[in-house]
Amino acid sequence: MNKEQAKEAVIDIITKVLEEAEIKDEIVVTEEMHLIGGESLLDSMNLVGVCLALEDLADDHGFEFDWTSEVAMSKTRSMFRSVGSLSEEFASQSEA
Amino acid sequence: MIIITGASRGLGKAISERLEKKGEEVIGLARSLSDLSIEGIECDVSDHASVKNAYREVKRLKKPLKAFINAAGVASMNMAVTTDESTVQKLIQTNLVGTIYCCQLFAPIMLRQKQGSFINFSTIAVSLALKGESVYAASKAGVESFSRTFSREMADFNVRVNCIAPGPIETDLLRGITDAQIKKIISQQVIPKQFQKSDVCDLVELLIDSRASSLSGQVLNIGGV
Repeated sequence: MNKEQAKEAVIDIITKVLEEAEIKDEIVVTEEMHLIGGESLLDSMNLVGVCLALEDLADDHGFEFDWTSEVAMSKTRSMFRSVGSLSEEFASQSEA
Repeated sequence: MIIITGASRGLGKAISERLEKKGEEVIGLARSLSDLSIEGIECDVSDHASVKNAYREVKRLKKPLKAFINAAGVASMNMAVTTDESTVQKLIQTNLVGTIYCCQLFAPIMLRQKQGSFINFSTIAVSLALKGESVYAASKAGVESFSRTFSREMADFNVRVNCIAPGPIETDLLRGITDAQIKKIISQQVIPKQFQKSDVCDLVELLIDSRASSLSGQVLNIGGV
């Protein structure tokens, strides 16, 4: 999965989670959107929902999405800092 | 499906046999499968990679996970000043870190199904601050604290987390404790009698039952303290 496909998938999943959680109507999920911290629209429960959905998607594509690994989390900045960084990590794990 | 760690002996074995007898599909996690009397997966709970491999195997089964029971544990009854470094590490790594590894790695299965129950194991030594069990009690106090907080993190997903804290039940863990010491511990319980493995099994059955849906974040002391 390349970065563009990963970004599309991540945005699609976040949009669905936000819709299901009825957090905000007609929200446009962008690459810059924060996933953690005060500016995030996702609470911790929704963020877990996103990770579970990405795990399922990874299963469908024949790879394992590890959202708890030291490698993924110990980078200076978390992969959850934005939609873009999560997409990059997802794409990277798909190619590993 | 119900998963039990430490299923090859002691309380884990008794619980797995009880649940299987009750018609549950039970999978035991143990370091050596040769000691298991039920279907099992090789797993050393103190090793993150080993727990992760077990998780992958379970996930492949694609079956609902009703409960995960963290019964694996080690004990060493000594004063802190006479406990060597490797024993300290083993106690914390198996009892506390092992429980955390299993909970965090197996939780996604329950989060996804929005249902399930974790049962962790503490000890009466925590609430009674039993002399000569400081490191063991510390590892289990960590389990209690982790369980209470973890239960809040899981509650939004309809997953319950509880802790059972037995008194002196006859298992290998009691090795090295004299009858007089056991009597002294029992005398400090609210119900001053020695309970059996079957009493622990009864409580496990109760906790995984849907009628216990109001119970989460609790530490249940067998015999009372």
